[in-house]
Amino acid sequence: MSDAAAAATLRPRSRAGRQGEGLAGLLLTLPASLSYIVLLLAPTLAAVLLAFTDYELGAPSIRWIGLENFAELAEDRGFQVSLRNTLVYVGIVAPASIAGALALALLIESLTRGRALFRAVFFLPVVSLPVAMATAWQYLLHPTIGPVNALLRDIGIAGPAWLTSSDTVLLSLAFIGIWEAIGFNLVLFLAGLTAIPRELHHAAEVDGVKSAWERFRLVTWPLLGPTTLFVVTITMIRSVRTFDSVAVLTQGGPNRASEVLLYTMYTEGFTFFRLGYSAAITLVFLVIVLALMLLQTRVLDRRVHYG
Amino acid sequence: MADRRASPWPEAARLIVLGALGLLFLMPYIWMLSASLKPLDEIFRASLNLIPEGGGTLRNYARVLAEVPVLQYLWNGVVVCGGILFFQLLFAVPAGYAIAKLDFPGREWMFGAVMLGLLVPYHVPALPLYVAFSWIGWLNTFAALIVPSVISVFAIFLFRQFFKALPDELIHAARIDGMNELSIVWRVILPNALPAATAFAIFSVVAHWNDLFWPLIAVTGHDRATPALAILHYRSEEAGDDFGALMAASAIMTAPLVVAFLFAQRRFVEGIATTGLKG
Amino acid sequence: MTPCLPRRAALTLPAALAAPAIPRAQGTTEIIVHYPQPYAFKASFDAIEAAFARVDPSVRVVFHTSPNYAEGAQQVLRQAVTGQLPDLSFQSFNLLRMFAERGIARDLSPLLAREGEPAAFGYTPELLALARFAGIQAGLAYAASNAICYLNADLLRRAGFDPDALPADWDGHLALAGAVSQRVPGADGMWFAHSEWMFQTLLYGHGGRMMREDESDIAFDGPEGLATMRLLARMPSEARMPPLNPNAAVQALAAGRLAIHYRSTAVLQNIVQAVGRSFDLRTALWPVVPGRERGLAIGGAAGMLTARDPVRQEAAWRFLRFATSPEGQAMMAMASGYVPCNRIAIEDPRWLAAFYRDNPLFRPAVAQMSAAQPWFAFPGAQATRIATTIGQHVERAVQRDADPPRILSEMAADVRRLLRSRG
Repeated sequence: MSDAAAAATLRPRSRAGRQGEGLAGLLLTLPASLSYIVLLLAPTLAAVLLAFTDYELGAPSIRWIGLENFAELAEDRGFQVSLRNTLVYVGIVAPASIAGALALALLIESLTRGRALFRAVFFLPVVSLPVAMATAWQYLLHPTIGPVNALLRDIGIAGPAWLTSSDTVLLSLAFIGIWEAIGFNLVLFLAGLTAIPRELHHAAEVDGVKSAWERFRLVTWPLLGPTTLFVVTITMIRSVRTFDSVAVLTQGGPNRASEVLLYTMYTEGFTFFRLGYSAAITLVFLVIVLALMLLQTRVLDRRVHYG
Repeated sequence: MADRRASPWPEAARLIVLGALGLLFLMPYIWMLSASLKPLDEIFRASLNLIPEGGGTLRNYARVLAEVPVLQYLWNGVVVCGGILFFQLLFAVPAGYAIAKLDFPGREWMFGAVMLGLLVPYHVPALPLYVAFSWIGWLNTFAALIVPSVISVFAIFLFRQFFKALPDELIHAARIDGMNELSIVWRVILPNALPAATAFAIFSVVAHWNDLFWPLIAVTGHDRATPALAILHYRSEEAGDDFGALMAASAIMTAPLVVAFLFAQRRFVEGIATTGLKG
Repeated sequence: MTPCLPRRAALTLPAALAAPAIPRAQGTTEIIVHYPQPYAFKASFDAIEAAFARVDPSVRVVFHTSPNYAEGAQQVLRQAVTGQLPDLSFQSFNLLRMFAERGIARDLSPLLAREGEPAAFGYTPELLALARFAGIQAGLAYAASNAICYLNADLLRRAGFDPDALPADWDGHLALAGAVSQRVPGADGMWFAHSEWMFQTLLYGHGGRMMREDESDIAFDGPEGLATMRLLARMPSEARMPPLNPNAAVQALAAGRLAIHYRSTAVLQNIVQAVGRSFDLRTALWPVVPGRERGLAIGGAAGMLTARDPVRQEAAWRFLRFATSPEGQAMMAMASGYVPCNRIAIEDPRWLAAFYRDNPLFRPAVAQMSAAQPWFAFPGAQATRIATTIGQHVERAVQRDADPPRILSEMAADVRRLLRSRG
C-alpha cells in the first residue's frame, strides 16, 4: 500500500473525526508543552538574558549592562585558561576515544565468541558512578601509594604526581575521560558495524579486495558514515560538558591547570553568586556546543554516504 | 558468523589483545575492590598485591555502613530516578505519539521546538531554575531533584521516531473499531511502546543516577543527597585519609547499577545503542 | 581516642549549664549546626554533641558540613538569600567579618552579659576579640590553630640529621629538606601546605601586614611580601618540594616518604592516626625568618548564631556555650589538634593539664600561641574571593609559575580590584 493511500485511509474522513484527532493531539501534548515552556524554554531565555545583566544572588537590584560581562570574560585570565583547558581536553579525549572505540569495535566484531563479554567489559564505565570511579582513579594515580607509581617505581621510573602537578593534571583527567567515553562509543560503533550487511563484505572479496585494510577502507568505513558522524558529535559534546572529575578530584587546580568551562560556570555562579557573569559563561558554552554540532554536520555530512 | 574472514591476525591473537586491554580497562574496579578489603597500613605501603595479605578485612565496609546512611542515599537515588522516569514517560510517550501520528495545529512547531531543545544542554537552564526554586522554597527537596528533568525532549524525539515506524494499520483498525483517540493511546499505543520505553528507561536511569551537577547545586545537607553526592560528602569528611573506607563507600554506591547491568547486559547495551542510533 | 575527663568536672558542669534564663519549649528542639572542614572538625563535634545530648536532651543537633572554609562561608551567604540559614554556623575567623557586616551574625554580647562575666567562663578579652567584628560580638571562638612542623624523626636520622636539634630558621630548614631529598632515595624533604592563611603566617614572620592600619590600601606588596614570595619560590627549587595536595602529602608522610610536613596544628589527630606506629612522629615549633622574631597567624573558627526563631536561637546558644565551655573545649582539643579557646580549659589542671603533659605532640601549638596574630579579615563582601585569589597566587609561587615579584604584583592588583568592586 503506498504511503499516500495509507495516509488517506488513516485520516478519518469526517470533520468530527478530524477535530477529535486535533483535540486529542493537543491534549496529549499538553503536559509536555507546559513543562517544556516552564522548565526549559523560560529558564533558557532567562539564562540568555541574565548574561547581559549584572545580577548577583542576593543583590537588591539588577541592571542591564549589555556586553560588559563578555568584555570582562575576554580579559579574565582565569576564564581564558578555563576555555583553553576545555578545548585541549576535548582535543585529546574526542579523537582518542573515537579512534580507540573504532579499533576495539572492529576487533570485537570480528570474533566468533566472547563478543558480549568484551562489550560488557568496555561498557562498564558507562554505568558506573563517575564520582566513585574518579575516586578509584585518584587512588590508582596517587603519587606515593598508588599502584601506577608503585609499578613505575619498581621498574626504576619516578612517576609524576599525576593529579596534583600542573604539568600532568589535564592529561590525567583526559585519560580518565577517554576511559569513561570509549565504552559508549564502542557500543555505537558495534551497532553500526553489525548493521552492515555481510553480503557487501563477500561481494568485496569476490571483487578482488583481498586485504582487511582495503575492505575496511572501501566497504566498512563509508557505510559506517552515519554512525561515525553521530559518535563524533556526541563525543565532542559530552567531553565539553566534563564536570564530575574536575569537581571531585582537582577543583580546577592546581593553579587552574585543570579548570574547565562548566566548573568555572559553577564556581562563578554558585560559589561566588555572580549569576550574570556565570550566565555569560553559559552562553559561551552553548555557542561552543552549537558550533561543534554545526561543524560536524557541515564537515562530515559531505563525506557521509547514506548507502 | 559461519564464515571466516581473511584477517591479518588469527583469532587467538585478537582474543589475547582484547583480553589484555580488557584487563587494563578493569584496573580501577579491581584496585577499588582490592583497596576496600585492605587495612590502612597495607594501603600505605603501596604494595602491588591485588589480594590483600592475610585474606583481607571487611572493616572498611563495616565502617562505611556504620557511618554513612547507605540505604538512605541509595533510596534517594531510587526515588529520584524512578520519579524522573515516571514523569518523563508520562509526558513524552503521548507527546511522541501525537507528533508522530496525529494531525493537530502546531504540530510542526512542536517538533521544531523538540529539535531545538535537543541542542541545549541542561546546564543552561540550571541557573535560573535554581533561583526560581529558591523563591518557592523547593531547594533541598525531592521536587528540586526530580522536576527539572521531567521534560525530556530526547524522550519525545525518541518516541516520535519510534511511533513513526509503527504501522498505521494498528491505529486504523482501532479507529474502525470505534475507539476514540484517548482510548487508542491507552489500549493500543502504550502497550506497543514497551520496547522503546525500556530502552529509554535504561538510558534515563543511568544518566540520572550518575548525575552530579544538578544535585550539587540543588541539595545541601545529607537528607536528600543522591549517591553521587554521598561520595562527595564522604570524601570531604575523610579527606582521602582512609582510602580503604573511601574505596568501600565508592564500591557500595556504584554497585547497584553495575550489578543491574551485569544481569541485564544486553538490554542495557541495546538501550543505549538504539536510543543513540535512531535518526 | 576517647577523651577522659575528671569525674568531678563532668558532674559540676551540667549544673552550671542547666539554668536557662528563658523557659524551655516543650519537647525537643532541633537545630541545624553547620561547620566546615569535617576532616578536621568532625571528631570534635561528634564528641561534643554526644556529651551535649546527655546534658541537654531537649535539643537535637543535626550537622551540615562544607568541605572547606571558603565554601562554608559562601554556602551560608547563599542560604541567607534563599532563606535556608542554619541555626548555628562555624566560620573561619577571617570570613566571620562578612557576616557581621551583613547582619547575618547575631550580636552575642547581650546573651553573654545575661550569663555573667565572660572571663569567669574562660572567655578572655583576647579570645573574644578573635570573633569581634563590625562593633558586635559576632561569634565565640571555637578552635584556634597555628602552623607547626610535623617530623618523621626516623627519616631525619636516616638522612644524618638530629631531630632534637633542628635548625631554627628557614634557611636551615630549606637546606635540610634539600639534603634529605638527595640523600634518601624515594623520599622528599619537605612539603608546605600553601594557602592564604600560610601566606599570612609567613608574612607575619617577616614583620609585614596585610592591609594598612586604616585599611585604605593593601600593605602586603612591600619588601616583606616580596620576601615571603621568594621564600615560597625557594621551596620547590632549593628544598626540592614535590607538587602534592594536602591529602597526598599526609599520605606521603604516613608512608614514610616525607621528612617534614609544614601545616596547621589542626590536623594533628588526623596525622597521628594516619601515621599510627609506622615511625617516630614529632612536632616542632615553626621556623623563624633569619634575624627576626617568630611570627604566626591564628587560624581556626568561631561559632556564629544565625537562627531567627527565638526558640531555636536559644537552643543554638546553649549548644554554642557548651561547645566553647571548658568541658567542650577540652573535648575539642583532644579530638583534633586545635588549641582550645577557653582559658579555663587550658590552665585549669582538671581539664587539659594532664593531657598536654602526656601528649608532647600537642605542645608546640600552645607554646607558640603568644607569638601569633589574628587572621586578618578583609573588609567587604568579596572577602572569600580575596582569600581564594591570594591562595591561588601562593600556589603559583610554589609551582614556580613566574618570578616572585611578578606574582606579588599580580596578586596585589587582583586584590585591589576585588576590594574596589561592589559589595
